[in-house]
Amino acid sequence: MNTNYLPSDYLPIVVQLLAALGFIVGSMLVSHNIGPKRHSKKKDDPFECGIPTEGDARTPISVKYFLVAILFVLFDVEIIFLYPWAVNFLDWMKESREMAIAIFVEMILFMGLLLVGFYYIIRKGVLNWNQ
Amino acid sequence: MLSIISLSLFGILNLFLGFLKSRRVLLPATLLFIALAFAANLLDWNHQYVYFRDMLRTNNLFINFSSIILLTTFLTVAISRSFGTDEEHTHPAEYYAIMLFSVVGALMMVGFENLIMLFIGLEILSVSLYVLTGSDKRSLRSNEAALKYFLMGSFATGIFLFGIALVYGATGSFNLSAIGSYVSGGPTTGISPLLYVGLLFILAGMLFKVSAAPFHFWTPDVYDGAPTLFTAFMSTVVKTAGFAALYRLLTVSFTGVYGLWWQVLTGVTVLTLLVGNITAVYQSSVKRMLAYSSVSHAGYLLIAVAAKTPQSPSAILFYSLAYSIATITGFAVLILVAEQKPIEGRPDERYEAFNGLAKRNPLLAFSLAVSMVSLAGIPLTAGFWGKFFVFSTAVDRGMTNMGMVLVVAVLMSVVGVYYYFRVIIASYLKTGDSEPIGIRPLYRFILVLTTALTIGLGLFPDVVRQLF
Amino acid sequence: MQPTIPDVVQTIPLPYYIWFASALFVIGIVGVLTRRNAIIIFMSVEVMLNAVNLLLVAFSAYRSDPAGQVFVFFIMAVAAAEVSVGLAIIVMIYRNIQSIDIGLLNRLKG
Repeated sequence: MNTNYLPSDYLPIVVQLLAALGFIVGSMLVSHNIGPKRHSKKKDDPFECGIPTEGDARTPISVKYFLVAILFVLFDVEIIFLYPWAVNFLDWMKESREMAIAIFVEMILFMGLLLVGFYYIIRKGVLNWNQ
Repeated sequence: MLSIISLSLFGILNLFLGFLKSRRVLLPATLLFIALAFAANLLDWNHQYVYFRDMLRTNNLFINFSSIILLTTFLTVAISRSFGTDEEHTHPAEYYAIMLFSVVGALMMVGFENLIMLFIGLEILSVSLYVLTGSDKRSLRSNEAALKYFLMGSFATGIFLFGIALVYGATGSFNLSAIGSYVSGGPTTGISPLLYVGLLFILAGMLFKVSAAPFHFWTPDVYDGAPTLFTAFMSTVVKTAGFAALYRLLTVSFTGVYGLWWQVLTGVTVLTLLVGNITAVYQSSVKRMLAYSSVSHAGYLLIAVAAKTPQSPSAILFYSLAYSIATITGFAVLILVAEQKPIEGRPDERYEAFNGLAKRNPLLAFSLAVSMVSLAGIPLTAGFWGKFFVFSTAVDRGMTNMGMVLVVAVLMSVVGVYYYFRVIIASYLKTGDSEPIGIRPLYRFILVLTTALTIGLGLFPDVVRQLF
Repeated sequence: MQPTIPDVVQTIPLPYYIWFASALFVIGIVGVLTRRNAIIIFMSVEVMLNAVNLLLVAFSAYRSDPAGQVFVFFIMAVAAAEVSVGLAIIVMIYRNIQSIDIGLLNRLKG
């Protein structure tokens, strides 16, 4: 792997940066200049549009959303244990059949425990949105 | 090992028992589960096993520590009755299940052979306790305690993990013995400075979990705000498991740098003893006093760790046993007394609530007196021998090293007598309202059992000590 | 030939990783100690954990020892469990006092 970079090797990054900045600045300038400008007293007033607000924006929402999000985080992360297992499984298969079976059973156990947790959640009615 | 697996399965089983209509089956079932795990634990006596490629190790020391943990859990579960006043919002099955899971974490902390296991055990224990601390959902005090415990606890976990990462960087292994042979074998290039920094970080994290000063600041608030039953659970199980883990880690892996961590630990010990005992004097709530007392007992236990003599494990074991039993008794009586006359809807935990307890219920007053005497370390109780064994490890280490610590420890024991006896004086000498307090048979049995154990261990300490 | 991941990791000297992880870790600590918002404190803790993960992966790659990366997996899984418990606690408090400023939590004083 090439570890010696010359300053000129970073040129594409600089070009990319300039292009991004140029697009932002350019489009702002263009839209500011070609658009029509009409001033009036009412128009220059700071204003809020729409109907007057009522109540707090942070209305209490159902705790179900929160529960589903949390459960997603919990079950989602377990995938990281599947990746190294899956990557190595082929090697174990080649090594010996018994070892592969043993390791397969271990993963089944792990997933089984997760499923028990999932069954518990369903029994608790967390995923039931009708009540 | 069988105990760890069976407790995990029992915990899951407990969750599903919660779907039954009747809640009456939960308490006996949980007690049965703990008893079964206790029996499964004893099966391995006098055997040495290593599991899962050097991840866990069971030996007699493991069995001793885990027996103490299971015994205290059994006692705590036995004194649990209702969880809060709001029947609809309590989930006893889940609480029992979480308690069982946290015991699994504690057992892993006792038997770990690899730092990965220590971390996982510590986290299972801590995360379970965050939930239990906040289990009284409607009480703002419980909420606040849970948040404080959670934020401070995960902060400590971060520090602890950074220490582990640095030690791994220096030694290239998470295995206790491999780290130990790196440290004492003396690599040709000299011990990497990363190891020293890592050790200090690990120490800070562990001392935080066992609430030693100056990492104790969360303890009084959390212990005060948590439901009393879980305070009793926290202050006993966590301490036993934490000290087992700390001792094992320091002696197996870091014997080679004893000169370094010995100095840190003695400093922390002196500070813990001073802070814990002196602050406990100024408390007006018995629950808070017991919280500070648990800080001070962490100090006494640290003496045995810092001394690191061959007698240290048995001293730690005996002290944890005596402390756990007496603390459970103290909290059990506190639960009953405090809920007699609630102030502003929450239990009255001031000293005044104990006035005239001897007349209201002689058994409660007596077991409270015995447990307080044991915590204070007066002869003829288990606590005295606990302190005796701990102090004698320090004497074995030598007065030049541990002399200062011993002087402070003895002085602070005298201070301890003052605040523990305030409760006894309130219950025997002061007069309060004379309404008698009734207790259920199981509760009564547990109180009699713990009191008998405290006195029995005080009279015949050798019976248990032979096992250690 | 395609370079392996440890090779790529090793193109940067190890001390750089240590300094970078330490800097992240200190940022996390400062965040925990100075912020008042429970969620932000919590995010700072996560930054600390990620500093640890980075350090472990760097050491692991330099030593060609997979144990460090396995530890990272466990830290991630446990951190997710911690997140769910922590957020549950924070939501519980928010429902009770409509705020997550830890300055408002002062009922427990000695």
